[in-house]
Amino acid sequence: MSGKVPQRPSGRPRYKGKAPYLFLSPYIVLTAVFFLVPFVNAILLAFYETNGPRSRVFVGLANFVFLFTDSVFRRALFNTTVFALVSVFIQLPLSMALAMLLNSGGDRVKGFFRLVFFSPNLVGQVLVGIVFSVLFTPRYGLVNRAFQMVLRWGLEARWLSEPRLIMPAIVLTSLWLWVGFNMIYFLAALQTVDKTLQEAARIDGASPWQIFWHVTLPSMRHVVIFVVIMSVIGSYQLFELPLTLLSESYGYGADDAGLTLITYLNYNAFRCGDLGLGSAVGWVVALIIFAISLVQIRLGRIAEED
Amino acid sequence: MRFVSNFPYGRAPLWLLVIAIVSLGLRVATSRRREARPDLVVVTHTEAQFDAYRKAIPRFEREHGVKVQLQFANWASLQARLQNAILAGTEVPDLAEVFAGSLGFFTRGPVEDIGLLDMTDRLHSDGLDKRLVESRLSLWSTRGRVYALPHDVHPVMLAYRRDLVEALGIDVSKLDTWDKFVEVGRQVSRDLDGDGVIDRYMLDMRYDGNWALQVLLFQRGGQIFDQQGEVAFATEDTAQLVLWYLRQARGPQRIGYECGWGQPVVKALTDGLVLFHWAPDWRSWIFADEAPGLSGKMALMPLPAWTPGGRRTSTWGGTGLMIMKQTRHPDLAWALAKHLYFDTAELGERFLLTNILPPLKDAWNLPEFDKPFPYYSNQRIGQMYAALAPEAPPVYSSPVDDAGRLGLDRAFNRSAEYYARHGEAGLLEEIRAQLAAAAADVRRLAGRERILVKGTL
Repeated sequence: MSGKVPQRPSGRPRYKGKAPYLFLSPYIVLTAVFFLVPFVNAILLAFYETNGPRSRVFVGLANFVFLFTDSVFRRALFNTTVFALVSVFIQLPLSMALAMLLNSGGDRVKGFFRLVFFSPNLVGQVLVGIVFSVLFTPRYGLVNRAFQMVLRWGLEARWLSEPRLIMPAIVLTSLWLWVGFNMIYFLAALQTVDKTLQEAARIDGASPWQIFWHVTLPSMRHVVIFVVIMSVIGSYQLFELPLTLLSESYGYGADDAGLTLITYLNYNAFRCGDLGLGSAVGWVVALIIFAISLVQIRLGRIAEED
Repeated sequence: MRFVSNFPYGRAPLWLLVIAIVSLGLRVATSRRREARPDLVVVTHTEAQFDAYRKAIPRFEREHGVKVQLQFANWASLQARLQNAILAGTEVPDLAEVFAGSLGFFTRGPVEDIGLLDMTDRLHSDGLDKRLVESRLSLWSTRGRVYALPHDVHPVMLAYRRDLVEALGIDVSKLDTWDKFVEVGRQVSRDLDGDGVIDRYMLDMRYDGNWALQVLLFQRGGQIFDQQGEVAFATEDTAQLVLWYLRQARGPQRIGYECGWGQPVVKALTDGLVLFHWAPDWRSWIFADEAPGLSGKMALMPLPAWTPGGRRTSTWGGTGLMIMKQTRHPDLAWALAKHLYFDTAELGERFLLTNILPPLKDAWNLPEFDKPFPYYSNQRIGQMYAALAPEAPPVYSSPVDDAGRLGLDRAFNRSAEYYARHGEAGLLEEIRAQLAAAAADVRRLAGRERILVKGTL
């Protein structure tokens, strides 16, 4: 190894010999062992049927054929997509509304409610799932009692065993959990919006809705696109919440009404030991998320160009 | 300092090197020599069993001159990690307790993949197969071989609010068939205060079928899988059961209400919302533990039969003790398994702590099994459960056990949807169709298992 250091045209030194690679080797080795090898293995696994890590049989595309002809998988895909749509069209508008409400308040109020709305995230999905499974108890549960008091309906509602109520129960729980989380992003973005633009629009006679739609929202579009993409990704990875809410049926729920793609993956890969099928589900989920994210980014660019 | 400035690649790489060397040195200096593995390691996932075994193990250690380590683990992690460890060939305990319904999980794939000790011959040579409740071995058998020792029988009775039932003038000795039970149930299940909400139900019934449907299925002699592991729930008898269950749990004259678990059950019991509750032996202890205020007001009765003179019990749940094939001391592990499960010196006291009836028939003659139980109005519940235990139905296993249970539930819930929309018209045909469709799905999954066993597509 030479002490002479030849200079690149840019002026940055260029090292010769093995030493730079030696220093880089821990990173390269770790990346290879913990990322590249599992990544390649996961691709290959999708073409095998396995019994844990011991036995495997090459089945070609049979795992994918099984998935797309399996009514349970289709139900999982449907449920997860419904949840993703709810996230985008109900959860995020609610987060935005809360953020705008807080943004109009004083700093103290803002700080207090920011903590209040964000705090459900501090306890984690598993605990929230367990707590809500009690709150949803027919006749005695807090949610049932509240619905009965307000709507004169719901005292006997079987949120976690009536198929048509299972997804609403998951959605209600997720709203409690995540509305505050996304609100923080929107609140931060709202605070960066140029107030003079809003003021100018107001002077020009724009209504509050017009100001929001034509001034505020475009000013924070980068954050909105980011939050939408992350919400969709998060929705397609929904797992712990239904698993804990519907623990007696491994997260499936009556008539598979609470089944999500990752619950299906977890069940097949780790309860049944079929890592190959689990891997195939994983790839399908990854491709779905990739495709949706691409569309969202593209739509974001179009909106930006407009 | 000259060395630092002269290091050929700058200061940062030098410090990285120093940190790496120091970390490695610290790791080596602080690493302790691994303690020698005890002769046997046994894992359980139930607190009551952990306490019982902790008391029982010292005597075994003295008698055999060995060291046994008892570990406690969460059930879900124990199952997943144990199976992965078995398949990956990494270190596993010598013995592990698992819940019923998990044998299929551990015996998936070709026989050579099964990481459990085959106990069949040992059971026969020790004569245990004759001394145990025979049907309990079904839970722990696959492909004709036994892979775990049964811990229990879990015969099912009904626990009821004796004070309320007597006040209503119900004579439980006459409720010996489900028809009679339903008839009385329809009289007592009613809205007492006229607010449109039923205030008293006869029976705790899962709204979505689930375990309650399975308990009734087993009582009728039905199965989810047969002895050969083939799907067995798509039968006319199951269809009739689903029809009956839907009427009682969801029909206009329903007698059933789902109480759930934990505090909601206690509240339903205390309020008298539901009079009769499913009580396998283990749950009879839970009622006494969680609703102590009802001591003396509760009692147990055998399940009503489906036909006069028919089976008056079923079974719900179970625990088994598996020995790993990897164990270095299979004979010692077998001796420990027998000591933990079938040592009559321990079983009497253990029954008083858990109400769980062991499958060893000799043990039922111990005085502890004949003691009156004050919570249940001084009934001799040990003898009551023991009298029903020989009738406890078998429950067979399959590598796709969970899928079978989910399939039955799916058929039930889809039939329930139909019932809610269309009522009884065409309901039985719908139930039959749903059962057949669910069974086909499970068979399809089982077909994948066969690929694995065959080793080729």
